[in-house]
Amino acid sequence: MKSRTEGRILQLVVVTGITSVVSQLLIIREFLSRFQGNEFVIALILFSWLVLGGFGTWAAGAASSRILPANRIRLALLSMLLAVLSPLTLLAVRVLRDVMFVTGSAVGFYATFGYILATIAPFCLLLGFVLPYSLFCARVLEPGFSGTRIYIADNIGDMSGGALFSFLLVFFATPMQALVIVNAALLVSAFFLIPAGQHHRLALGLAAAVGIAGLTAMLWTEAPSLHRPAGELVHYEESRYGRVEIFKNQGQHTLFLDGRPVFSDQNLFQAEESVHYPLSQLDRVKHVLLVSAKGGMMRQIRKYDPASVDYVEIDPAITRALFQYDMLRKIPGLNVIHQDARLFLSGSDKQYDAIIVNLPEPETFQINRFFTTRFFAQARRHLTDNGIFSFHTNAPGNYISDIQAKKISILHQTASAHFSDILMLPGRRLYFLCAQRPLDTDIPARLAEKNISTKYVRGYYTGNVTPDRIGQIKSRLQTDAPVNTDYMPRMVGIMFSQWFAEFESTPAVFTALLALGLAVYLLRSRSEEFVLFTTGAMTMGSEVLVIFAFQVFFGYIYFEIGLIITVFLAGLLPGAVIGEYGRNIGRRLFIVTDILLITAMVAFMAALWFAGDVLPESAFLVFGGIVSLACGIQFPVALHVGGRENPAAVRAFSADLIGAAVGTLTVSVVLMPYFGLIWTAAALIAMKTFSLTFVTLTYDK
Amino acid sequence: MTNNLSRRNFLLTCSGACLWAALGGGTGLVRPAGAAESQKSVGRVHVFKDNAPDELWKWSREAFSYEKLAGGKVTCNVCPNHCTLSVGDRSICRSKVNMDGKLYTLAYGNPCSVHVDPIEKKPLFHFLPQSRVFSMAATGCSFRCLNCQNWEISQVRPEEVRHYDLFPEAAVERALRTNTRAIAYTYSEPLTFFEYMMDTARIARQKDVKNLLISNGYVNREPLLDLCRVLDAANINLKSFDDKLYLKLNGGRLQPVLDTFKTLDEQNVHFEMTTLLVPGYVDDPDMIRDMCKWITDNLGVNHPLHFLRFYPHYKLDRLPPTPVPAMEQMREIAMEEGIRYVYIGNVPGHEANHTYCHNCEKMIIERQGYEISAAGLSGGRCRFCDTEIPGVWNEKDKT
Repeated sequence: MKSRTEGRILQLVVVTGITSVVSQLLIIREFLSRFQGNEFVIALILFSWLVLGGFGTWAAGAASSRILPANRIRLALLSMLLAVLSPLTLLAVRVLRDVMFVTGSAVGFYATFGYILATIAPFCLLLGFVLPYSLFCARVLEPGFSGTRIYIADNIGDMSGGALFSFLLVFFATPMQALVIVNAALLVSAFFLIPAGQHHRLALGLAAAVGIAGLTAMLWTEAPSLHRPAGELVHYEESRYGRVEIFKNQGQHTLFLDGRPVFSDQNLFQAEESVHYPLSQLDRVKHVLLVSAKGGMMRQIRKYDPASVDYVEIDPAITRALFQYDMLRKIPGLNVIHQDARLFLSGSDKQYDAIIVNLPEPETFQINRFFTTRFFAQARRHLTDNGIFSFHTNAPGNYISDIQAKKISILHQTASAHFSDILMLPGRRLYFLCAQRPLDTDIPARLAEKNISTKYVRGYYTGNVTPDRIGQIKSRLQTDAPVNTDYMPRMVGIMFSQWFAEFESTPAVFTALLALGLAVYLLRSRSEEFVLFTTGAMTMGSEVLVIFAFQVFFGYIYFEIGLIITVFLAGLLPGAVIGEYGRNIGRRLFIVTDILLITAMVAFMAALWFAGDVLPESAFLVFGGIVSLACGIQFPVALHVGGRENPAAVRAFSADLIGAAVGTLTVSVVLMPYFGLIWTAAALIAMKTFSLTFVTLTYDK
Repeated sequence: MTNNLSRRNFLLTCSGACLWAALGGGTGLVRPAGAAESQKSVGRVHVFKDNAPDELWKWSREAFSYEKLAGGKVTCNVCPNHCTLSVGDRSICRSKVNMDGKLYTLAYGNPCSVHVDPIEKKPLFHFLPQSRVFSMAATGCSFRCLNCQNWEISQVRPEEVRHYDLFPEAAVERALRTNTRAIAYTYSEPLTFFEYMMDTARIARQKDVKNLLISNGYVNREPLLDLCRVLDAANINLKSFDDKLYLKLNGGRLQPVLDTFKTLDEQNVHFEMTTLLVPGYVDDPDMIRDMCKWITDNLGVNHPLHFLRFYPHYKLDRLPPTPVPAMEQMREIAMEEGIRYVYIGNVPGHEANHTYCHNCEKMIIERQGYEISAAGLSGGRCRFCDTEIPGVWNEKDKT
């Protein structure tokens, strides 16, 4: 009877793990579609999630002794509450945004951070609470119940949740449907925690039934809760890459990708500028490659009568919607390719007369890949001798700020390594035209020669793209500007600075508070917690690093992100089993696993540095597996060293969560954008070396 | 225990260093108080306490229009914000500071943006068409528009930008050297560098160079009257016709802007009006009708009105562009209310870019962007029906 109940507790922990990961992934996606979709926001969510979880865990330790002594009925009720809070959190993220902020406006760093904390706090605190509380419940039945078993169950749940979402739910369910499915399972699991015949079972059954009814009712909130910037929502799709919405307003269709308007069928400026600036430079246009597109572009390209237009768009949901609503026209020779553009080029021998990049600002690592020296070199290899390569960024307007000057200089410097002539045209956006031959600034004259008519370029060019404005941009170029590379994504750092500048804020206050909080925590922590903290930081830091490196070399991160996350969770399980068996070895096992972590990171970095281009996918996964294995081994050992009492388990869970939170944040928003891949790895190695040195020095034989 | 203590000491040192670096490194970056992130509404904005520089610089002048109060405080009287500053405080527009009980401008002779533009870009369609304008701006703005096109100069302090050294005399000389017939005070909010603009405009007037104000119109009557003495034309933004929207999207109020229009009209300054049609906010037909009624009742039917198309920008980047049919609808409303010259801007090739005679409705000025053909206009009159077209069509029309 006792073991059956323990089994049900473990089962509940597994299901909780599944719902927590599915909820986390969906809430991250929701934030990305409602706020800035950059790494800062992702890191803030993960950080808040983990820290709040850590607080919840700590609270469980404090509350379980007096206020809320552990028992299964309370655990079942708390789990049911968790199941309801999950979709409510998603709804809150969606709906409160327009209550708290001006509809249609961007939100700054601190406001975003505050909003994240406020909306996810109830769910995350409770989530952090129930994990150790489950352990305490199990220990009521069996005082010697190992915390590692809960840890293992939680890992199984996390891993299953990651796989369930990445390989199934993301394809077949809307966010609310996905949450209803997993949380209904949690309600049922919580109900079955109480064996048949016990007097609270009926009440719990009623609660579960009400919960399931409530969850079902939430399915009807899906469409009404989506944002309404202006107009009627005529198309909504959750693709594996993000949220695609089309709004119709008085005949105009606008496609929003993750909450931002990216295509409009009435934006003539962009269509004409992005097509005619580069193509007018060519004597003959035979083959064109478009890396993404803008509304109305095809109509403009057709004026050159090209033999082929290869249009690469990674998300089929976007092209489907664009063609369905006539925002892009199918023209003769058009070939739509649903692939990552870098991957497509690496597998193609085709030479193009023009390669036109139509991407948003490089504010994420993913977009930054199309503004680096490696991509520019790749584009150059696929151009004909007279071919032209074009990309654009936000125009500096009437004044070139220092941040803008730096951004333009880096892009110019990066392109200069591959092209002998670079023409910068400050139109509605700043266009970079790159070629191996002299380029002409008199676009209207070239269009007139070709007898190509335009509405915008013809009349506005001479007033907007004046020699004076071109000259001012050239005069602000910094000749010593660094190059933007895959390893060192400088544009991401610039875009972060730009974001802060727009909101007249600085990350300094946040950094200072974080450092202070961290110092207080580390000073109060015990040695085994310190090791777990550094390992948590190393694991999450490595995960971010692997995701980043993977997309640099393979580009198709979206397909593999579920796999990477799963691998990073998968190692924890065998690791925990090994740790549980070897826990009596004590701190020596810390030393061994720390050495393993450092060695793995050094080897991985060396492999990337010397053979990044030929490294197989499996190498990334093996590295992830080793890191999570080491992390998994250390956890039971820390539990053993710290003592078997409940507070020790709470401290261990908290250390792991807080370390993971700090690792995610530091790597994503400080190390990677400002110091690059190699220095990030060096920082992680240094941190673990410090941990190793400390464990070795304090090792009591 | 010893080991534990030494680790703590080590960590303390490390974290102390990190904290110091974070705060020290960021000190120069920390923005003044009052700088707010996006919220439910821009709302009322506030002065920047203790934010004046330690000492004045070369580009400082005592302000023209202010009041000294007890305790060394001063109140700036240029705009309706009426910033009351204690010693060491900075105004909402960021250009004025209280130094030892006197109000100084820090934006004098230091424009950060200088260009030569077609006059149609301002937009001014009924004032010396096809002319080129020497355009300049120093930093600052009395508003906090979420969709500001020039936030990098309007929302910063004069000390934070690279600038030219161009005192009034030199500015006018430069305008003449570039063969322009007018100086436009534009891009940011020129009323925040009021003293610089006034001194430059006086010299320009003496040298027969026109003065154009491109502004949000947030100015008090007295300084505006001073300005009108040297002003030739203006384009004033009428951002909406709803005080709540002014507060929400711009951080200002509506009534002072309406008062500015009345003063300009009364002072016989040529002016045109611009309204950016922001989807979901400034596109309510009833509001636009009320606005146009107010215009015709108070300013008459002859001042051109430009409806500009909104494109996502700056902080307002999650709205779609304004649908062209919506702009056409607003234009129709404006014309129904009697405004004679209503244009649609930011829509290349649209028929409402051109000027049509209000009497015979024939096209008299054709605009393809900045390519202008005024074939239907002769001596300020419609070539087809000889009706006088309101505006300043050549330099002799008005001085």
